[in-house]
Amino acid sequence: MSETRQTADDAQATTDSEPGGASPGTGQPLEVTSGETRERTREEWVEHEFEGEAKLSVSDLDVYYGDDHALKGVSMEIPENSVTALIGPSGCGKSTFLRCLNRMNDRIKAARIDGSVQLEGEEIYQEGVNLVELRKRVGMVFQSPNPFPKSIADNISYGPRKHGDLDTGLLANLLGRSDDDAVDELVEHSLRQAALWDEVQDRLDDNALGLSGGQQQRLCIARALATDPEVLLMDEPASALDPIATSKIEDLVHDLAEEYTVVIVTHNMQQAARISDQTAVFLTGGELVEYGDTDQVFEDPQSQRVEDYISGKFG
Amino acid sequence: MAGATESTLVSEDTTETEAVAAGAVGLAAVLFALSLAAMFELVTITDPVAGVPMVALLGGLLVLLGLAVIGFGVGSRLGYVATNPRPTAGLVASAAFALIWFVVGGLVASQTLGLGTAGWVVASLVTGGVGFAVSALPREDIGSTLPAGALAAFAGLVFLTGVIGPSWVWDLGWEQQASFNAEFTIPVLTGFCSLLVGWAAAKAYGGFGARGRHIGAYVLVYLNALSIIAVLFLLVAFTVLKGLPGLFNGFAFGAGAGPEVTLVGVTFSLPLSWPFVMNGVALLNDVNGVLPAIAGTIWLVIGAVLFAVPLGVGAAVFITEYADRGRFTQVVEIATNGLWSTPSIVFGLFGLAFLVPRLGNQKSLLAGMLTLGFMLLPLVVITSRESMLAVPDEYRDASAALGVTKWQTIRSIVLPAALPGIITGIILGVGRIAGETAPILLTMSGSVAPPGSQTVDVLGGFQFQSAPPFVTNPELMQATSALPYQLYSLITAGVGQSSNIGAIDEFRWATALILLVVVLGFYAVGIATRYYFRSKLQHE
Repeated sequence: MSETRQTADDAQATTDSEPGGASPGTGQPLEVTSGETRERTREEWVEHEFEGEAKLSVSDLDVYYGDDHALKGVSMEIPENSVTALIGPSGCGKSTFLRCLNRMNDRIKAARIDGSVQLEGEEIYQEGVNLVELRKRVGMVFQSPNPFPKSIADNISYGPRKHGDLDTGLLANLLGRSDDDAVDELVEHSLRQAALWDEVQDRLDDNALGLSGGQQQRLCIARALATDPEVLLMDEPASALDPIATSKIEDLVHDLAEEYTVVIVTHNMQQAARISDQTAVFLTGGELVEYGDTDQVFEDPQSQRVEDYISGKFG
Repeated sequence: MAGATESTLVSEDTTETEAVAAGAVGLAAVLFALSLAAMFELVTITDPVAGVPMVALLGGLLVLLGLAVIGFGVGSRLGYVATNPRPTAGLVASAAFALIWFVVGGLVASQTLGLGTAGWVVASLVTGGVGFAVSALPREDIGSTLPAGALAAFAGLVFLTGVIGPSWVWDLGWEQQASFNAEFTIPVLTGFCSLLVGWAAAKAYGGFGARGRHIGAYVLVYLNALSIIAVLFLLVAFTVLKGLPGLFNGFAFGAGAGPEVTLVGVTFSLPLSWPFVMNGVALLNDVNGVLPAIAGTIWLVIGAVLFAVPLGVGAAVFITEYADRGRFTQVVEIATNGLWSTPSIVFGLFGLAFLVPRLGNQKSLLAGMLTLGFMLLPLVVITSRESMLAVPDEYRDASAALGVTKWQTIRSIVLPAALPGIITGIILGVGRIAGETAPILLTMSGSVAPPGSQTVDVLGGFQFQSAPPFVTNPELMQATSALPYQLYSLITAGVGQSSNIGAIDEFRWATALILLVVVLGFYAVGIATRYYFRSKLQHE
């Protein structure tokens, strides 16, 4: 890094030159990894203008795991029917953020969450929120494929059956109001949406664990789609897959954005650049550093740290 | 010597020395099998084999093997055989050889030479020290072959010279007249020496060093595993052979051979007569049987399982899925583990003191079921908990993310995935309680050898009435017999000799065989169930 460049950066991004110094803006000490430039985050970097409604709006979200402050005052608005990528180095809180959006962090006993998350204007962190309904509307796909040890068809219909939307039980069969046809329809529809139908249509009754990793992950996506969510959260869905399976998942995400609001965590910056409409960059310490149009974030990042991260200088 | 310490990357075809070593390993295995056979009296040590008495054959083979192994070690040390030995055989092997030779020296000095205490202690220390020095100080090829081979050769010579012959008895000189005889001692010594020599020969085959140790350990472990299976097989075969004559006493097959039964108003004759499993014990029977005890055992197990499994699985669901991990779950865990190791007689006393007075104040089938159910409960809790903990959290997360409630997740995902493990626990538990004698003795035993008319008929015993409690079942409240209890009383107290059970010994063995068959039958049911549920969880 040349001297001139450093000066220019300083002027642009008010780089804090004192190691470990507190940033005056938020009053919080900056945590950086080695090789990272020190700078304060600025509010305007995380402001993202978009047309249409915000599906999810998050404001001042703090998450603590015991004494560990994992997410610091994150605010962002996620637009409808688009793909939002969350990128950042390991341990920066992007998965934590994702899990806050459908309250999966409630399942971790040590986690404490402050702040507000609104789904179409309704606060999800308040008394009386129906978690079942919330998670039906905000579905999730995990990092490693985790199909249930059941048949492919049973995996897809699991959610709706447990919600009582479809009944294929013995009693329903005896009373002649079984939803078998509806189940078949749902299975085919969901598998087609996940671009898996052609590969598995002949073995819907086989155990899902017999599928390959990429197929299992698409099955998990189909399973999440079967409950007809509005938002689909994906936590590095392609990290365990080979390039061909990854590109299938990427195409899928692209198509899904027409009907669904997709929020996807990824380690792969090229992937984020390829598939997302807007990108949020989390950096070490659990701060949202920059959020904006994917093109803008990747081509002309406002933050020096983000530029360094994207160009591979650290992380 | 040049090639002795280097191993080649690609070994050539089997060399003659390797073939000899492999032959020695094989011979040791044969000798081990022979010793096992002799121990179970399948062959007698005095029987001649090819004109030579068995004991002489064993001795001769031991001498041959011992010398072969020593020869191999010495040949390797002198460089005639290309091997890759370490500088020493290692401390563990040396300590083992020191202990073995300490015992050998002590026994020879005190028993054969008749030296006093001071004499045998000195002799033991000397031989033990020599054993240690010979295995620890020289290179591995000498250190692991010489002490083992010498022991085998020595034991063989002892057999050959008749110092320990077929008529040898070692009277321990205790007040109780305890003694070892040759029928037991010779096979045990042969088996031990053959294991030791087999190990040394296997090391030699591998050329000592890392590969030799690997092969040596492999042979030891393999022979041990085989002997365990052999013992199990022999045990079952022994019972079957002894039990078969009594079991099929009076067995007949053909139209109209069996007793008349009435099913759904139709009376017909069974095409099979099997008195031992169809009769009880009565004066007028041609052949006596154990039908009441079989029915008692089966109903006992069914009752105990019906009582313990729902309770146990429910408790396991609670402490695994609902309760916070903490002091409470720890205490529950310690308590269940403790209960599982509680002696069965204590459960029996609990049944006698607590259940019997509350259930009609007499010994009854129901009291026995509940007592055995209490015994089964801790194992069901432990294994259910273990197998539920083994269900990956990813399943629970995935289910929660689909908006499925906790109970539905447990019912549809966790329990099905844990079911094979739970069933394994039930199988193990049933194996234990089906053969339990003490609790039955205290809580449900009636007469030792009941007549066939006293067979419990739980299903047919239900009686309905218009006044509360509406349903009663006197059969459950009846004292009855069970196979292990009947076997116990037939053997210890000599009960039954007064009644007209003819060949009492045949009757006992047949009872034992039936007990074995009933327990194995429960096993088979359990394993088939487990197989079914496991196949649903796995692909292919």
